[in-house]
Amino acid sequence: MRTFLVYLSVSICILLYLLVISVPYCITLMLPGRRCAHYMRLLTLYMGKAVIYIALRPFVRVQYSDLADGATAPGIYICNHRAATDAFLMAAFGIEAIQIVNGWPMKLPFFGFNARKCGYLDATQTPLESYPTIARDLIAQGVSIIAFPEGTRSGSTQMHPFHSGIFKLAMELKLPLYPCCIAGNEAFPDRSFKFHKTSRILVHRLPPVLPEDYANMPTAYVLKKHLHTLIAQETEKMDRELHP
Amino acid sequence: MTREILIEHINKVFVDKFELDPAILTPEKRIFEDLELDSLDIVDLVTGLQHTFGIPLRDNKELLQIRTLGDIYNLFEKIVQEHPELEEKLTKEQ
Repeated sequence: MRTFLVYLSVSICILLYLLVISVPYCITLMLPGRRCAHYMRLLTLYMGKAVIYIALRPFVRVQYSDLADGATAPGIYICNHRAATDAFLMAAFGIEAIQIVNGWPMKLPFFGFNARKCGYLDATQTPLESYPTIARDLIAQGVSIIAFPEGTRSGSTQMHPFHSGIFKLAMELKLPLYPCCIAGNEAFPDRSFKFHKTSRILVHRLPPVLPEDYANMPTAYVLKKHLHTLIAQETEKMDRELHP
Repeated sequence: MTREILIEHINKVFVDKFELDPAILTPEKRIFEDLELDSLDIVDLVTGLQHTFGIPLRDNKELLQIRTLGDIYNLFEKIVQEHPELEEKLTKEQ
């Protein structure tokens, strides 16, 4: 029953949001590529906020803490990945960003269309060698990049090992990395897309790891292990706060 | 050259490139699952091994078969047997 109600609430919220923004949405779709992507990212950001703070509010409370002292420089957001709601929870950061996603979300009706218009990157289709050019261009426009280097949802409080690709990119372009932590949504929804009872979801943005902090690290492997440790330590604390 | 010296050189690459604790570098460790390297990390590993041994490895098809640290030790034991000059080089650096 809860699962049905959550989907109903999210669907109604998105429909109402689309009704309200229908005119700017249509105008945005007619804009040339880069401007279209910019406005689509903003519209998607506010849709995400509507979903997590309004549609999900009867079921769960989302609490965001910025521990990065409001740092604004665009960079790469490295997040742990427990559940499909993570994609929406990214709206809590309130930044213009694109997400690097696995193939399947790009194929979803409506969401996949929006994601393509926003310039989201499909990790299964984007050639590795094109990432530096794309990332450099996005960062120059002030757009951050959100990555889930575990590659897939863990569905638990455990974190999978990270893949190195995004860290190689950060080292090559000397970009700040923002470690981001999400806790409380490991069963919201579970890996079968069923929503289980949960009271709070916590989202934390940690202070950035700057290029000068990792300048002496020999490889992306060392950097990914460093970020993995930072996120694991914080999510452990968050899990203890949620389940004392 | 003893197998121990060879292992020492290979382990040094893992320590230098990935800052791994030498104590965990045992032959049964699986490269991907236990040491958590991925395909891009393997590029760094191959670069480090090439630098240490001074031989090109990119076209070595046997490298594609490695699964454990022990596989790497065995592969390089074979490579050193095929390139006797390596033995002198590595022993000198010891």
